[in-house]
Amino acid sequence: MMNRRHFLSLTGTFTGGSLLLPQFLHAFGSQSHLVTADPCLVFIQLNGGNDGLNTYVPFDHPLYYALRPKIALSKDSVIGKTNGMGFHPALKDFATIQQNGDLSVVQNVGYPNPVRSHFRSQEIWQTATDSSHYGTTGWLGQYLDFQCQDHEPTAGINLDAVDNLALKGEEPNFITVRNPNQYKVRTEQERSVTLTDNPQLDFVRKIAHSVTEGAEEIQKALAKAAAEASYPKTNLGKNLEWIARLIKGNLNSKVYYTSQNGYDTHDNQLNLHHRNLTELNDAVAAFYGDLKSAGLLQNVTLVVFSEFGRRVKDNGSGTDHGTAAPMFIIGGGTKGRVLGGNPNLVDLDNGDLQHEIDFRAVYATLLRDKMGFDAKQIGITHSGLRGLF
Amino acid sequence: MDRATLWSLRLGFSSKEAQKIQSMGIESFLDASFTSKVRLDVPNFLRESPKSLGEVRELRQRLKAKNPDSVRELVRKEVQVSQQMKDWWLEQMMAAAFPLREKMTCFWHNHFVATYQKVKMNHWILDHNQLLREGAFGNFKTLTKQVVQSNAMVRYLDNVDNKKGKINENLSRELLELFTLGIGNYSEDDIKNGAKGLAGLGLGQDGAQYRKIFEDNDFITYFGKTGRFKAADLVDIIFEQKAAPYLITRKILKWFIYDVPPEDLVRYYGDYFREVDFEIQPLLRKMVTEEFAKNTAGSKIKDPLLYILQLKNELHITTLSPRLITIFLRQQGMDLFGQPNVKGWNGGTEWLSSQIYLQRHNAADLLCNRRALPGNNPLNGEVMAVKNPPRRLEIALDFDATGNHKTIIAALQNRLLYDTTPEMQAEFESILKYDFDPKSEGAEHAVLRLFNAMVKRPEFQLL
Repeated sequence: MMNRRHFLSLTGTFTGGSLLLPQFLHAFGSQSHLVTADPCLVFIQLNGGNDGLNTYVPFDHPLYYALRPKIALSKDSVIGKTNGMGFHPALKDFATIQQNGDLSVVQNVGYPNPVRSHFRSQEIWQTATDSSHYGTTGWLGQYLDFQCQDHEPTAGINLDAVDNLALKGEEPNFITVRNPNQYKVRTEQERSVTLTDNPQLDFVRKIAHSVTEGAEEIQKALAKAAAEASYPKTNLGKNLEWIARLIKGNLNSKVYYTSQNGYDTHDNQLNLHHRNLTELNDAVAAFYGDLKSAGLLQNVTLVVFSEFGRRVKDNGSGTDHGTAAPMFIIGGGTKGRVLGGNPNLVDLDNGDLQHEIDFRAVYATLLRDKMGFDAKQIGITHSGLRGLF
Repeated sequence: MDRATLWSLRLGFSSKEAQKIQSMGIESFLDASFTSKVRLDVPNFLRESPKSLGEVRELRQRLKAKNPDSVRELVRKEVQVSQQMKDWWLEQMMAAAFPLREKMTCFWHNHFVATYQKVKMNHWILDHNQLLREGAFGNFKTLTKQVVQSNAMVRYLDNVDNKKGKINENLSRELLELFTLGIGNYSEDDIKNGAKGLAGLGLGQDGAQYRKIFEDNDFITYFGKTGRFKAADLVDIIFEQKAAPYLITRKILKWFIYDVPPEDLVRYYGDYFREVDFEIQPLLRKMVTEEFAKNTAGSKIKDPLLYILQLKNELHITTLSPRLITIFLRQQGMDLFGQPNVKGWNGGTEWLSSQIYLQRHNAADLLCNRRALPGNNPLNGEVMAVKNPPRRLEIALDFDATGNHKTIIAALQNRLLYDTTPEMQAEFESILKYDFDPKSEGAEHAVLRLFNAMVKRPEFQLL
């Protein structure tokens, strides 16, 4: 912390006082660090609408096979079977983690009056509003507004190409990191800016590259924790590896967020879905193993979700946009249960599953049980679930 | 970027004039700009400020008689008036139907620098500013003569201390080095002798005046000519020099178009400037119409003024106090009436440092969040009240709701970014996805997020 403060006061005087530090930088410099090893939440958003029924599969239900003649997974291929449900064969490590008692499934998660637009449904999940209401800040952003005095640029870390609405609050309490590699070593920064034929643009890019707020903290955390060789070389694998390094390096962010694309499987679903879930499984397995051996799994709650599930009946080789789907909670001392009944394939709403558990109840649970925060403060009125942690 | 928008930004302070440029054509737009009305009335806030040295003396004595402390009060009040003058000018810039005159006034303001901090008379600062406004499209030689013989300039560059037998070279030097010819085009003797010619030119009632007792009436040699030269003669001789048109032409190219103007263009337009006897209007006409036809977008880093007014205009913000903007400008290193030194703002890459860049992003985020810019000094250690609900700005963003995500992205890009790459396109399409419905309720929030992302691209810093 001393070095950081020193850095700030130095740049303050360097400009002769005529150029003023932005308020947030100043506030940051005078703030003491968060307590070591606080609990944190890690989100993986599966973009495109993940097919819940082929992820956590009701393999015992005759209607599952009747409605999905082309894409149903055979009972034999489903793994980790319990109580009529089992995992997609690509999720072998999910099954193992469940056996270890470190994975809970929350079934049939959704919200009333579901919207089948990716765009809008993601917005709903990110703002935690009713589907008839339009929020401009995210649920995690609002939570961080309450948690952070002034402004803490690394309270939330978003690994993505663009800012995430879920993390947007009144204050900029999160940063978006497009490319974790930019933090590797300072001296590489200059070189990693792609030069163009426009020197003015190159100049601005170099500045932009060097000033990501919170970069100092991230550097320090990365320096403390070594890279793990065990992560797959996929996008998600790299992002999770990087998140784990920051956690191990004591960055103490409260929220990490990343996403995986490709779940909009209108066509050729079996192949695409298998490929996506394999990437997900391998990345999560590495992350789980990494944190477990570091003794940090208790502090870290990984949440996997998607903006909606898919239509129960297939459309041939794929599925159209649907509604409710399962969420997966890994680590963080979860009790390893399956909450909620198995998907009701009989009583459908226009061919879609009816949700049983509101996603905001899951949010409220996470905030209450893991972060000690009452979700009512940010306008979530749903009661938290019992038995998840 | 759409060409009309690019030139609206270049010839003004926002994309406000893009429509006019589009419909009138660039030449008629220039004509209308050149003939735009000049308002030279004295603004109300200056009513009580002293107009001359005599009035200052009188006021001081009157106040002193009443209460010695009230003299300090007078100084404090004039500092406030000077702050009001910044707000006033900013309002002129924002309100102008054809802002090119204000843009050009600001150019001259940064060429013939004379700051309040040194001049300390608000009326003289206003006179100076009005002189530049009135002569914005006039004759460079005439303007130089007028500026050299203004109260603001003779005080700013210490010519009030330049007296026979006690020569002060400051004004003489800057007249050659910064105002006209530039380093390498004059000798130290020219400076010494020029200073003699300027000796005795001090403060006066309506502009600077020679005072007989301080004049130096020796014969001097100035650029090879010998005579008893005074201010106007010196300027005439300077403008006979071969180098006369280039420094200013380079600066004008820098102000409007290129951070690093190609030297052949400087020669080309400079030669023309001499041909038209240093008339600014034909120079601007030629330069703008010829450069308009070229693809020159992205050759300049935005100054803070353009940066913030473009954002304000795009978001249709009308309730943001001008004071918050002038404070922002000062924090960004572009204090109106307050350049750090006689060289003025250097511009180009000097506009940006990492702090300035972060501060720009912070401002963009605040405005997109419907929040005002931060007020005063963030270094004073005050911690803002954390949970105070901030006062909201009214904001609105133009987009065509009959289009789709791609047309909306393209339209915004055309207004905001001089260039785009496939990587940027992918980024924007991950904010406005293919199933985004612009007609749906709340759609404007999503377009605003797209806008916010675009203005935080490095490319937005350029024009």
